[in-house]
Amino acid sequence: MSEVLFSGENIVKHFGGVRAVEDVSLSVNAGSIQAIIGPNGAGKSTLFNALSGFYKCDSGNVTFKGIDITSAPIHQRIAMGMGRTFQTSSVFPNLTVWDNLLIGLQSAANLAFRFRPVGSAQRKTMEEKIERLIDFVNLKASAHRPVAELAHGSQRLCEIAMSLSTDPVLVMLDEPMAGLAHAETERVVEVIRKLHSELGLTVLFVEHNMRVVLSLAQRIMVLDRGKVLAEGTPVEISANEAVRDAYIGKEVVEHV
Amino acid sequence: MKVTRRGIIAGIVVGLLFVVLLAVPLFASHVNLAVSIWTDVLSFAIAAMAVNLLIGYTGVLPFGNAAFFGLGAYGAGLTIQYWHVGFFGSIALGVVASIAGGLLIGPFLLRRRGIYFALLMIAFGQIFFFIADRFTDITGGEDGMTFTRPAIEWSKTVISDTHLYLGMLLLFAVVALVFWMLVRSPFGRSLVAIKENETRARYLGMNTDRFIFVALLISAAIEGLAGACYTLSIMNADPSRLDFHESGNIVMMTILGGSGTILGPFIGSLIFVIAQDVLSSALPWWQIPFGAVFVICVLFFPKGILGTILDVFEKRRGGFGYEARDTLHGTVISEREIQP
Repeated sequence: MSEVLFSGENIVKHFGGVRAVEDVSLSVNAGSIQAIIGPNGAGKSTLFNALSGFYKCDSGNVTFKGIDITSAPIHQRIAMGMGRTFQTSSVFPNLTVWDNLLIGLQSAANLAFRFRPVGSAQRKTMEEKIERLIDFVNLKASAHRPVAELAHGSQRLCEIAMSLSTDPVLVMLDEPMAGLAHAETERVVEVIRKLHSELGLTVLFVEHNMRVVLSLAQRIMVLDRGKVLAEGTPVEISANEAVRDAYIGKEVVEHV
Repeated sequence: MKVTRRGIIAGIVVGLLFVVLLAVPLFASHVNLAVSIWTDVLSFAIAAMAVNLLIGYTGVLPFGNAAFFGLGAYGAGLTIQYWHVGFFGSIALGVVASIAGGLLIGPFLLRRRGIYFALLMIAFGQIFFFIADRFTDITGGEDGMTFTRPAIEWSKTVISDTHLYLGMLLLFAVVALVFWMLVRSPFGRSLVAIKENETRARYLGMNTDRFIFVALLISAAIEGLAGACYTLSIMNADPSRLDFHESGNIVMMTILGGSGTILGPFIGSLIFVIAQDVLSSALPWWQIPFGAVFVICVLFFPKGILGTILDVFEKRRGGFGYEARDTLHGTVISEREIQP
């Protein structure tokens, strides 16, 4: 058994009377790739936002690298090695792909607060790293175009590259396939697979597209109405009666 | 750094502008605009530049910014009146007062964003306004206070209007240069990132509150400097300098000229101050047509005069002008050659 990198214990998040997330626990092992699925309104995104510090948990604990980060501000989580993307790509739309990545890199290198220009040696290191990231997500052709001009799939890839620019060990992807055309989905799936297989990163993602989930994830957690319905390997989840009834259509399961 | 052709053109335009401004004392009387009006133009240009740092580069709305202008003005005025401070000392103390104001209200403002930030800042500005307006014994109340321009500390001479104008021009050039370097620095890039998408900036590890706070303090210092110089030019400080009308005027200059550009605020202030001077004597209701022009500008040219001009230039060159555009806008994010 490898060790636990990231975990949430008894996470609760309510919005007024709506119990969006009700006592959910999960743990992510270092080096694994894990998915959270569930029907609309199951609380997947809320859980994700609570775990990544976007929302404050009503109760429960979040632990990362053995340290309690429940009330840690976002920038501290990033410094510890967390990175995330959003359902609607969160990028700097009017800046080029190159500049989007540069801002991440200068922040990671503790240069974001610097008033003087960056020295040439350091700039060269950063430029090389930007090129590597652009190669990794295959955006070379659009490197110097503003992100807003790119297709959704490319914007999503840019966002993934940005989340890598701060050298994370854990990458959290919130519905990486949301709003993408079929052909684009393939490109993004490939990149996510490489995050895990080439870079050895730990990946936690929320996804609707069952084909993607079953092909990528090593472990799956199913949420329904704010609670954990089931947890297990893709094979176990596809065989689970309760999950079938609640969520997965029979046709999809038969594909596996 | 690579020198582009457009960089050279921009340099020539800026150089010519500087020469024209240098010659103002020679032709001011011929165009019926006193040198002191031109000093006002530069004072407000510096103030609008400070506002532009927040609107155009950080993405927060400083609708109560005149608090800083007025704190600079009163900081200088009160220290001249009661402590008999010299010329440069009073300017320095005006800037100190303005930074102190920023330190005081900044932590409260940082708790809010968007329109709530703007409203909260107006409210704080009005507090300063009422203090100046009501403490008549100290501040002269509604009428403000009038004083004579103090002598320079070491030479005991009092600066003439013309020399004050030339000094202001030098100050304006220095502030513009520092501003240009600031927005091109890594810190300036971080501010642009916050303007573009604050959530993403946080998720890249930036403590955005800290960045916005420092931007606010820099803006306060620059605007306080403008306020102090303005008050030394007109030799008067009154509560309207702190009022939100004044804030609105300075925001208007910034947007009219082009927020997010280095010299846009100067163009806005030039048009605004001169129009005010020329029109207010000819038309008592000059603010009506001027307001209409502003509305048209915001509706059809949201990037302001300079921003629109730069866009036209870029379109004619058929795109791929990001680097060149950024040189003119000042937000060079990366200095790489762009291969079409």
